[in-house]
Amino acid sequence: MTAEVRLALAYLSRVAEPPCPELAKLVQQVGPVESAARVKAGKVDADLARRTEARREIDSAAEDLELLARRNGRLVTAQDDEWPLLSFTGFARMDHRQRPESHPPLALWVVGSARLDDMAQRAVAIVGTRACTAYGEHVAADLAAGLVERDVAVVSGGAYGIDGAAHRATLGTDGFTVAVLAGGIDVPYPSGHATLLHRIGQDGLVVSEYPPGVRPARHRFLTRNRLVAALSGATVVVEAGARSGAANTAAWARGLGRPVCAVPGPITSAASVGCHALLRDEANLVTRAADVVELIGRIGELAVDEERPDSLLDGLGEAEQRVYDALPARGRRTVDQIAVASGLAPIQVLGPLSMLEVCGLVSRVDGYWKLSRPKT
Amino acid sequence: MALGRAFSVAVRGLEGEIVEIEADITSGLPGVHLVGLPDTALQESRDRVRAAITNCGNDWPQSRLTLALSPATLPKMGSVYDLALACAVISAELKKEWPRLEKVILLGELALDGRVRPVKGVLPAVLTAKRQGWPTVVVPADNLREASLVDDIEVLGAQTLGQLQAWVAGKGELAERIETQAPVLVHATDLADVVGQTHAKYAVEVAAAGAHHLTLTGPPGVGKTMLAQRLPGLLPELSPAESLEVTAIHSVVGLLAADTPLITRPPFVAPHHTSTVAALVGGGTGMARPGAVSRAHRGVLFLDEYAEIGNSALEALRTPLEDGVIRLARRDGVAAYPARFQLVLAANPCPCAAPDSKDCLCASGARRRYLTKLSGPLLDRVDLRVEMHREKAQAFQAEAAESTELVRTRVHSARAAAAERWRPYGIRTNAEVSGVLLRREFRLSQEVTAPLRTAVDRGVLSLRGCDRTLRVAWTLADLAGRTSPGKEEVTTAMSFRQAGGVR
Repeated sequence: MTAEVRLALAYLSRVAEPPCPELAKLVQQVGPVESAARVKAGKVDADLARRTEARREIDSAAEDLELLARRNGRLVTAQDDEWPLLSFTGFARMDHRQRPESHPPLALWVVGSARLDDMAQRAVAIVGTRACTAYGEHVAADLAAGLVERDVAVVSGGAYGIDGAAHRATLGTDGFTVAVLAGGIDVPYPSGHATLLHRIGQDGLVVSEYPPGVRPARHRFLTRNRLVAALSGATVVVEAGARSGAANTAAWARGLGRPVCAVPGPITSAASVGCHALLRDEANLVTRAADVVELIGRIGELAVDEERPDSLLDGLGEAEQRVYDALPARGRRTVDQIAVASGLAPIQVLGPLSMLEVCGLVSRVDGYWKLSRPKT
Repeated sequence: MALGRAFSVAVRGLEGEIVEIEADITSGLPGVHLVGLPDTALQESRDRVRAAITNCGNDWPQSRLTLALSPATLPKMGSVYDLALACAVISAELKKEWPRLEKVILLGELALDGRVRPVKGVLPAVLTAKRQGWPTVVVPADNLREASLVDDIEVLGAQTLGQLQAWVAGKGELAERIETQAPVLVHATDLADVVGQTHAKYAVEVAAAGAHHLTLTGPPGVGKTMLAQRLPGLLPELSPAESLEVTAIHSVVGLLAADTPLITRPPFVAPHHTSTVAALVGGGTGMARPGAVSRAHRGVLFLDEYAEIGNSALEALRTPLEDGVIRLARRDGVAAYPARFQLVLAANPCPCAAPDSKDCLCASGARRRYLTKLSGPLLDRVDLRVEMHREKAQAFQAEAAESTELVRTRVHSARAAAAERWRPYGIRTNAEVSGVLLRREFRLSQEVTAPLRTAVDRGVLSLRGCDRTLRVAWTLADLAGRTSPGKEEVTTAMSFRQAGGVR
């Protein structure tokens, strides 16, 4: 990609509030350089003209790119190899009238060294409310750490609460995390997360479709959410209130055909109401990272069965249970006595006894059998 | 110048060799010269033969008499040649050549008055004569039943030397072959007599079905010996070929009953625990004679109080256990005796053998040493180990347990099934199956062997112990009439391993 093209795209990225399908169509038709020239000169059709009118005079592309370079960033566009084309194909199938923002971005402003498409191949979004509880924070961190263990990138929005917990846990376990911002990459939001975002930029990726200097605004968060959902294989909502941005991300994921997962919480917790609503709406109930990986992982990458609390007697067969119960808490018995007490034939008692002995539950003393430890 | 000739058989081990006996009378000072490596008993035969001949109304040559037993290099033992020596001398003295003497094997010891006394080893000798194509064998009348066990050869019984002489000259008759009826089986010992002790009783049944070796431990008086004695009753009858094998060994030892010589039941041999190596495996000067292991061939060798038996004696059992035969080299050659026996070991749990282990006075070290007497290689061959317990008084009220007869039918069908299965591999019983065969060709499913894997993982069973358990499991399956062991058989088989410790 030539510098001219890059400059043109940087200009176009700012000139219309993304996503702008009309602009994308023009770029596809005549190329970025020609499009930039036409937009600048106002020689475009009415729709596009209306959308670009306000900002077509502003051309800070050179400065923006310079700022980006200083921050060790780059502009990733559809012409680049690392453009995560596959992640964005889902938008084409969505109902554009109902969801006007359902379009791929024109370009992405990225800080960090990893390739976007590599990351998007195996990534999970962990999202949730900013007003999270200690439980949510714990679960988010736990999930993130578990995903890191299984080589999955954690995508989130860089906000307070669940987002931050997920990012921090990922960084803490040397994992790979991606923050998708709703403003320019030089505008850390929330400002309390400036350090965190800086660390993400160093060890992971900070991604935004807005050029530098753009302030995050309410509508931009909702637009940003579609990228969070698109860049990850599944979206996990850890905690969400009745009115939460996380529900919006989940809706995007569902629209894109990605699995939506929700972590259940206490039914009395306001922070889990959204999750429960999602679950009623047939979201996947997840409780551990392995459950999530099962949804996004390779074929056959299944979660191991949940550990169940087991008593010493759980693994025993029916005959073994009966023989075990036939032994007294104290004292010892001969095979014949055990046979009488258990109602099994004397010879059928021998096998279970030896199995119980192998398990360390009974022992043999002078030809008698007794329990190894008192019954509880 | 006169020469007489007769034939007899030298038995070495269980093998016989035809011995030609020549008597030569030449001029010279009167005297008897016996050549051909005779032993003491044979040297003395000069005097017996001389007395018998003269007492039967014959003359003893009044010149130099040379008696030669050939092959000359073969050492000859015992009194069995008396009859042949006497006939050769009479033939030489009377200068007559009787055609019958040329075609008969003579076996027997002479009394001074000319009576023919019984000897040992008649059966192997007659078998040799038959194998070498001799038409007739004359044996002492008392050995006639034993000799009659061999078919397709004329056997005759001589009462006295005079009677034999008359027969040889064609003037008299000898006792003809006696057909003995197979002895009617009477089980003096019945399994139903044993009170309680299900585990041990079952172990005896399994041992009988799979020919497994068995160890019984328990305090005195719980019935270890009683059970061991009942094992032969469960074993199938010996086949005709086996019977002859066993009878031949007993003939060599001289243990055959006069009236029913053929041994059709598996023998039960219980040597005392002070037995020496020689008594156990065989020995003796000159040519080794069979020991307890050979007498127990195709039967049961019961070693009571094995912990008191000398280590060297126990270790000497290793080769016969492995090979089923014992080769004993002595001055006069190597004797090979078959020794495929089933070993049953019994011992008290400790030297003091208190009725209740709580009252035991032994130091723990002594206790351990007592039962670890069996070395690894020996213990490896014992598939079944049972610890017996003292029965409470109420056990006497229990109804009669299964009889020997009932169990024996089960054992028979189990043995038949096992023999059928292992025939392609040249094996007859489960105890002989190698671990490799069990783990490769006859591998059981993962599910069935799961208990074994658990046991190995928990360190309570060694891999060798696995093989043992599998062998027993196959026997259990045979007893239950199944084609291959299931999980239940495998776990039950595991109950026959040593309590505590990895083995």
